[in-house]
Amino acid sequence: MSARVAVLVFPGTNSEAETVRICRDVGLDAESVHWSKGASLPKYDAYVLPGGFAYEDRIRAGAIAAHDPMMDYVIEAAGEGKLVLGICNGAQILLEAGLVPGTGAVRKPTAAFTHNAPSGKFICKHVHIKLVAETSRCAITAALPSGTIIPAWSAHGEGRLAATPEHLNEITSGGHLAFVYAHSDGTVDDAAIPNGSALGCAGLTNKRGNILAIMPHAERDAWNFNHPDLADRENILAPSGGAILFRAFAKALS
Amino acid sequence: MLHTIAIKLKIPDNAAFSALTALRRLGVDVERVERADIWQFAGPGSSDDVATSVKRNESLFNPNKHVLEVLESPSPRAGETWISNIPIPGDVPPGSSAGAAKHYVAWRLFAGHDRPADKATVTSAIEKLLCNPAIERAIT
Repeated sequence: MSARVAVLVFPGTNSEAETVRICRDVGLDAESVHWSKGASLPKYDAYVLPGGFAYEDRIRAGAIAAHDPMMDYVIEAAGEGKLVLGICNGAQILLEAGLVPGTGAVRKPTAAFTHNAPSGKFICKHVHIKLVAETSRCAITAALPSGTIIPAWSAHGEGRLAATPEHLNEITSGGHLAFVYAHSDGTVDDAAIPNGSALGCAGLTNKRGNILAIMPHAERDAWNFNHPDLADRENILAPSGGAILFRAFAKALS
Repeated sequence: MLHTIAIKLKIPDNAAFSALTALRRLGVDVERVERADIWQFAGPGSSDDVATSVKRNESLFNPNKHVLEVLESPSPRAGETWISNIPIPGDVPPGSSAGAAKHYVAWRLFAGHDRPADKATVTSAIEKLLCNPAIERAIT
């Protein structure tokens, strides 16, 4: 029996359709759950917070959604060890909820994905992210060898990891850095970072390793038709590189 | 001389309403929330001259949806907090192209009967929602 995955929809979420679709493509029993149906959340095995502009990014990206009643269920489920994946705006929500990196109390954020630097502008760019967490560190990526490169689309105005120097040290020393921006060959340098993100961070995990927050959209590079190289023109619906992350997610739930 | 200009919406402010709803859910006792962008300009001349200049800058002010107020004090009023982003090296501060020296988002909280919220309420609102200390600073 497939694991049941809830893809949360807040007012302003806009990536739930492709997120549900890739979850189903990798064998998960996924469905979107509207913010008015939050009470149904406990029955799911895992949760995905997709991209978009929840509550129009009012106050700060993810700030209002982090206090939405749906997040009460997610926080409780995460505490029980269920898997939670946040993508882009979903990642911003997880940081605002204090779940990731989780170095402070719940709903007391110690970091944020905030305005891109130096431009301060929205960026839409194809990128590659490199898994830097050890295999055993994050349950969602446990099926992937460290160093795995995943193609994805960065589409955000607020994707730069920012925190105080003390909290950045905690992120590093605690092994919370899951993904960094890299070139397609895996080399890591400043030129690969599209948004000025501290530590070159593209994704973070929590202390327990059951929550993953990534900024780039792997689900938007999950099929050939949305990969820039269109590797297989004969089969545009064939899986593309971004599907790797969701296969690992499914394996973690099997 | 420092000139302090507040620009707020004259149409319904959805962000302020969301803040009000979220704060109440978090147990912060507020009846009304107002939000404004605070722009501070350093330089000679009168604040009214600066206000006239700001009104001509369509990246800061849209007469169809904004009202502008010249503030006498360069710091938050009773019941109010000003939030600013912690600057990072190489960052381009908002409004710098218009000559602004500093930008804040002001949240003004009111208790019953339009009284400004007390200091404890404002502090609670800052800690629970209005400021992420990882990236922002709040002054009251």
